[in-house]
Amino acid sequence: MSGSDLAHITVLIVFAADSLLFIGLLVLKTIHRRRVERHNRRRSEYMRLISRHLTYQNCTDPITPAMAEDPAFLDALIDVRNAIVGPELDALHAIVDRYGVTLSQRSRLRSTFSLGRRLRAAVALAEMGDQSSAEVLIEHLADPAREIRIQAARGLGRIRWTPAIDAILSRLGTETPWVATRFADTLVAFGRRATWPLLAYIRVNHKFEWKGPALAIRTLASIGDEEAVGPLMDILDETGDPEIALATLETLGVLGSPLAIDGIREAAFSPDWRIRAKAATALGAIGDPSSSAELARSLTDHNWWVRRNSAAALAQIPGGIEHLYEALNGSDPYAADAAAETLADTGELVAAKRRLDDGAPTVRDLALLGHMGDRALVSQ
Amino acid sequence: MIWQALAWVGYATILYFVAMQAYLLFLALTSAATLRRSHHFHRFGRVNEMLSTRTAPPVSILIPAYNEEAGIVDAVRSMSIVRYPRFEIVVINDGSTDGTLDALIQGFELARVRIPYRPDLPTEPIRGIYRGRGAVDITVIDKENGGVSDAMNAGLNAARYPYVLRTDADVVLDPDCLINSMQRVVEDRERTVAVGGNVRPLNGSVLRLGHLVKASVPKPFIIRMQLLEYLRTFLAGRPAWSALNALPLISGAFGVWKRSAVIAVGGFSPGHMGEDLDLTMRLHRHHRDRGIPYRVVYEPSAVIWTEVPTTLRVLRRQRIRWHRGLLTAVRDFETMTFNPRYGVLGMITWPGIVLFEFVAPIVEAAGWLVIPLAYALGVLNTTLLFWLLLLAFGVGMLNSLVALLLDESYGYFNSATDTTRLIAMAVVENFGLRQLTVVWRVRAMFGTGKGRWGDMERRGVGNLAERDIAA
Repeated sequence: MSGSDLAHITVLIVFAADSLLFIGLLVLKTIHRRRVERHNRRRSEYMRLISRHLTYQNCTDPITPAMAEDPAFLDALIDVRNAIVGPELDALHAIVDRYGVTLSQRSRLRSTFSLGRRLRAAVALAEMGDQSSAEVLIEHLADPAREIRIQAARGLGRIRWTPAIDAILSRLGTETPWVATRFADTLVAFGRRATWPLLAYIRVNHKFEWKGPALAIRTLASIGDEEAVGPLMDILDETGDPEIALATLETLGVLGSPLAIDGIREAAFSPDWRIRAKAATALGAIGDPSSSAELARSLTDHNWWVRRNSAAALAQIPGGIEHLYEALNGSDPYAADAAAETLADTGELVAAKRRLDDGAPTVRDLALLGHMGDRALVSQ
Repeated sequence: MIWQALAWVGYATILYFVAMQAYLLFLALTSAATLRRSHHFHRFGRVNEMLSTRTAPPVSILIPAYNEEAGIVDAVRSMSIVRYPRFEIVVINDGSTDGTLDALIQGFELARVRIPYRPDLPTEPIRGIYRGRGAVDITVIDKENGGVSDAMNAGLNAARYPYVLRTDADVVLDPDCLINSMQRVVEDRERTVAVGGNVRPLNGSVLRLGHLVKASVPKPFIIRMQLLEYLRTFLAGRPAWSALNALPLISGAFGVWKRSAVIAVGGFSPGHMGEDLDLTMRLHRHHRDRGIPYRVVYEPSAVIWTEVPTTLRVLRRQRIRWHRGLLTAVRDFETMTFNPRYGVLGMITWPGIVLFEFVAPIVEAAGWLVIPLAYALGVLNTTLLFWLLLLAFGVGMLNSLVALLLDESYGYFNSATDTTRLIAMAVVENFGLRQLTVVWRVRAMFGTGKGRWGDMERRGVGNLAERDIAA
């Protein structure tokens, strides 16, 4: 075969591929557009149908098995599900049971269909939040596809079936970070019911690994149950792991209980600057005036972050601003800079400028403006 | 003798061409698989939940600015409404000679402050730091002129948060771009050192209040050609490199960087014409040399829109600068080429860049020179030449069509008009425009230049609000 022949054949193949792609692209775009339009049309029709069934208990308009398999029907069902509460929701669940909607989706999720179809089934089950799906969803917390694991957890969160808490927790430490954080979000949906299972999980695991327990501790912050404060203080006292300590301090700060202050103050003396910085933030978040002296001391810490967090924390505590002005006039230039930054952030600088413009600046205003290097303003 | 030499040149060119197409095909197939997974994940992975939980790390958005008076305020306002739980904006005024700083001071009621500033990276002197106290958490660093890299280093010094987003003053961020890119960080916070985004041309689209409301394909060929180039690069190339953890470039227009990692490698290189390529490659080298686990990823759903050159003069300047940046990088990272120590990056990606990005214009230009020479010597096989040119045209079109196919699921250009325009461009770009870029890239190899601001003639994102961007 000559070079020319080879080039000839290759060109033919390439142009055949070009033509296929060209046609494929046009067809795909047309099909896609039409499919979306048809899907939306059917979805509207199904929404009307479901609404009729909800309104009239003896409605005879048929919901066929084929409809129950239609993605547009599932979307309509989910839309209606998300728009109703109370007795109407029970009525909707009855319709779902009667026409075997969740049953077909459960078998679809368990099947070996393509990932896309299984995912749609997982989303449908998660969205509908029907208790009959709880077991299959727990089963799929260990699915090889992470999106299915995520949707399974989401569904369990919507159902709020308490036994699911332990099932989710048991996988927290072994999951990938993304899926684990979504599992943690799901636990937040359980509210206070998840507090003690979470604490039990942390107690058992925090000495062996940090990822799962640290995430569980932060989940307690999102739940916001003050009952967790005491056990978390114990964990802060016991742990030698900085990541666990950081998560605990963060959570104690968010929970905002003054009971935690003593433990946090101890952490403020840690050799690890991250722990000192986090302790300062936690003290600020709790906002108890008894912490002012401790935070004023941290303002002179040798670490940049600790100084910065301490200054920000002082601004959150009643009377803390006074300490910031003291630091501004003090001998430590780094503490002064940290204090100045917070004073600027809290609006003190703007107020000082305004008073200067009005011709009535205070001594503190001049000190702050002078520190900021705004000599032109100060000299007015 | 001459005939034989020319024949060998011909065989070598054909071999090169085949290798290049095999490489591009491999990238396109790997990208297709990666994009499919990415679509599934963004549809079903509960990415939006990051907004309401404590798992999203705070981010400093760094915007270097030089003579951006026209649009800087609107650009910052546009960026400030990005959907993300906690971020600050740091604008670095790199010694602008226009009213950029004044515009920022007035626009955000800034006050000059003296606050902690960590000079982790050396930069030109800082003239002042300004902080706002409005709805936008903004800090402005006013410094002596030192170039984009120097400005970025100043921004890294001033950044308060562990991750920085490097972007430009002339881009429009998709509201979800930050959350989509930071999702990759949350996915593996320990190893992720950089995340790149999907950059698309803004020209021709409709903006309202700094947000893109309708993307469409512009009429001028020069912009359409760039649109196709961007689609090929960002959809048929980078997803594959990312999947292989061998992404050699995080684009300057949008890149999330782990601050500590960037500081560990010495920040951006001042004066480098391809500072983003240089930094990405240094990050790879740093981590591989020390055996530190890491990853540099690309996130196709983190979409941002940027103005692209609208005139041949500006496009030429931009392409020359890009190619000179590549030339410097090829020299700087010579030891990584075909070096198994650097894994896929050293054995496939970087050699691919060197052979098919850097050397390609030389080969193509040589081809155009050999044809008249062979014709003059009477040894030109015109039939073979015809078929080879047809093949090159067909393959060029194939690459563009694959990129368009991969873009289909994003839904930006699905109208009949846009589809027709893009397909037409896949044909037309092979006649003239592509050859012109070859000439510019060859030109870039001869001559010197320093990285400097102002390649683009900006109209400013803010000036385009409430109306179409003139294409």
